[in-house]
Amino acid sequence: MVEQAEYKIKLPTFEGPFDLLFHLIKKAEVDIWQVSIADITEQYLAYLQSMKELNLEIASEFLVMAATLLRLKSKLLLPRSPKFQEQDEEEELFEINTAEELFQRLEEYRAFKKAALHLRQKEEEQKKVFLRSTGGQKIMVFTQQESVYTIWEGAHHLSEIMQRFAKIAAQREYVPAFSAVEDFVIARKADYIYAVLRQKRRSVPMKDFVIESSLWEVIITFIALLEMSRQRKVNLLQDRPFEPILVSLIEKQPELFQPEEGESGERTAKESY
Amino acid sequence: MEKEQQKRAIEALLFLSEEPVKTDKVAAALSTTSGEAEKMIEELQEELSAQGRGLQIFEAAGGYQMGTRPDLSSFLEKAFSEEVSSNLSTAALEVLAIVAYKQPVTRIEIESIRGVRSQHVLDNLLKRKLIKISGRKEGPGRPLLYVTTADFLKYFGLKDLGELPELEVENEGAE
Repeated sequence: MVEQAEYKIKLPTFEGPFDLLFHLIKKAEVDIWQVSIADITEQYLAYLQSMKELNLEIASEFLVMAATLLRLKSKLLLPRSPKFQEQDEEEELFEINTAEELFQRLEEYRAFKKAALHLRQKEEEQKKVFLRSTGGQKIMVFTQQESVYTIWEGAHHLSEIMQRFAKIAAQREYVPAFSAVEDFVIARKADYIYAVLRQKRRSVPMKDFVIESSLWEVIITFIALLEMSRQRKVNLLQDRPFEPILVSLIEKQPELFQPEEGESGERTAKESY
Repeated sequence: MEKEQQKRAIEALLFLSEEPVKTDKVAAALSTTSGEAEKMIEELQEELSAQGRGLQIFEAAGGYQMGTRPDLSSFLEKAFSEEVSSNLSTAALEVLAIVAYKQPVTRIEIESIRGVRSQHVLDNLLKRKLIKISGRKEGPGRPLLYVTTADFLKYFGLKDLGELPELEVENEGAE
């Protein structure tokens, strides 16, 4: 009755045990209400077996369903004892105690599967209609299933950062005037950083470059370091957010610090040089 | 003459709008009645289709919206290929279907129908704003209740939930 070989060749993926059961019933070309529990259990287990042989991971829901099916099957075989009431609270997903309940659930699932198919058709139709849209779904970037970010979220984060910054500045009763951050001040700070690093010959925490510890000086130091980093004069290292930023000097070794665009995998052996 | 001017205004309004526009909003902008506005929108709709134009007016999420004709999609995809988003997964559609028909619905109810844990799918649908949390169900644990959003209707090009076909459940063995 069961053609095991057929399952081995190609295993379709299913959304869950109901999906698999539904597929098996459709394959047997019988109505949901006419299914033999014994047959369906056998086929279901055969499918799980072939999954096992292919070393596929079997989700726990599938195993719980297998147990449920076996219990239903054994119930049909064993004489009924009215006093015996099963106590099982292991899984709320499958509170299925009779074949009728199983069919009921399958029937319900089938209806929703059909509804989902209808939604798929509508989705396809709608995909062909382009809207005048800048703020709608079409700017969403879907990289993986779990990470969905929109440009708006990014903008939201940015405004949050700016708000926090303004809050801190207000607390210190000092709003930095950016016009005061003049180039020569930054350049002087950079010179100072450079001198310290050359003298110490090791990495130095960023806070060590701040002498007066005013907010303004912190900003100057940070800008100076960013600029030096951009010019590949220093390395900035931070283990994780909010940890101290370590600054170290980049020694003049052009071979080691020339990233070749588009050839990152290639390494020229110049060690002997 | 006056009416022609109003129809041109409606065309421009629908062209500019990124969201479906409700008839009362159109009516307010043109200082006319909702009934009149709707009639003119329908006339515009027919004109666009009769002239075989590249744009169409259709009903979505309780309003009217202007969009391109489906048969032009292959040309447009070439021009805007980077902006086309991916389709929803089968799991996502199953969950959406359940939420759409049974709302407000809890996660446990959804999982019991699907026979599969569905928290992850729900989270993604929330992020995509196709569903939202409408409140909590009274009872043990006060679980969250999920409903579909206007974006859901927009995404599938539905006027309202009534446009979904009836759920076909056969209850032969029930009683």
